[in-house]
Amino acid sequence: MITARSQPTFVVTFAVTYAIFYVVSVEYNLALFTYHPALEEFDFLVEKAKDGPAMYWYGWMATSAIAAFVLAALASWLPDCWAKRVWPGWSWVAPLSVMFVFVYILRRFFLR
Amino acid sequence: MIVALLILHGLLAVALLGAITHQAISVWVPMRGAAGSFVGRMRAVPAKSYVNAIIVLYALTALLGGIIYPTYRLSVRIVLEQMQLYVPNGAFELKEHFVALGLGVLPAYWYFWREPQAAEHARTRAVLTALLAFIVWWGFLVGHVLNNIRGFDL
Repeated sequence: MITARSQPTFVVTFAVTYAIFYVVSVEYNLALFTYHPALEEFDFLVEKAKDGPAMYWYGWMATSAIAAFVLAALASWLPDCWAKRVWPGWSWVAPLSVMFVFVYILRRFFLR
Repeated sequence: MIVALLILHGLLAVALLGAITHQAISVWVPMRGAAGSFVGRMRAVPAKSYVNAIIVLYALTALLGGIIYPTYRLSVRIVLEQMQLYVPNGAFELKEHFVALGLGVLPAYWYFWREPQAAEHARTRAVLTALLAFIVWWGFLVGHVLNNIRGFDL
């Protein structure tokens, strides 16, 4: 259970782990499910494109949200002395860093 | 139906853009004295009052974007690739990832804007607001350009 005392640890851990899991999910294609827009079908986990393209974006977010929620819930059980050491700034440093990683990953679109 | 959803997505994005921009301005360049001018009144808005609206609008705008995304994937992106419009295509790819990352930031944004934390965590609050503002502006501008790409003579 997430108490008022553990909320800062939960939200900071969630922001950090979600960002990390998201970029890892994209890079290694760890989508929880695949959507085939032309067929309007969902498949569990990663499936190759069938008729038309396959969309993994929803699956990447689902993977990241679930993994981040579990880790943040675990982190919220940390003893007070450890929880107080969690720097709130990580909640923006991690997503901002991952945004730069995506700029680097997608640089091919802008450097042609 | 998709056109109606696209318009609604755009309208929600406009509302979100207004809310997050007002909040970001009032956090980064707050009004110290009396707000007499238009800009002064913009700087003097009560930033905390925007939090819930921003969270709801961000979630709704992202949800609607997610609903219309398959149509973009099937009808627009393929054309962009065929026309070798790499920059708009890449800008949308970034939008997709930035918006997803913004969703992960929302719980922290909500927490650090709560009343008890009003005095502390000011920097965290300000940077989280700026981060979301950047994501919303990026998403809005990229969506606007792609929606009107035929008029941009690219």
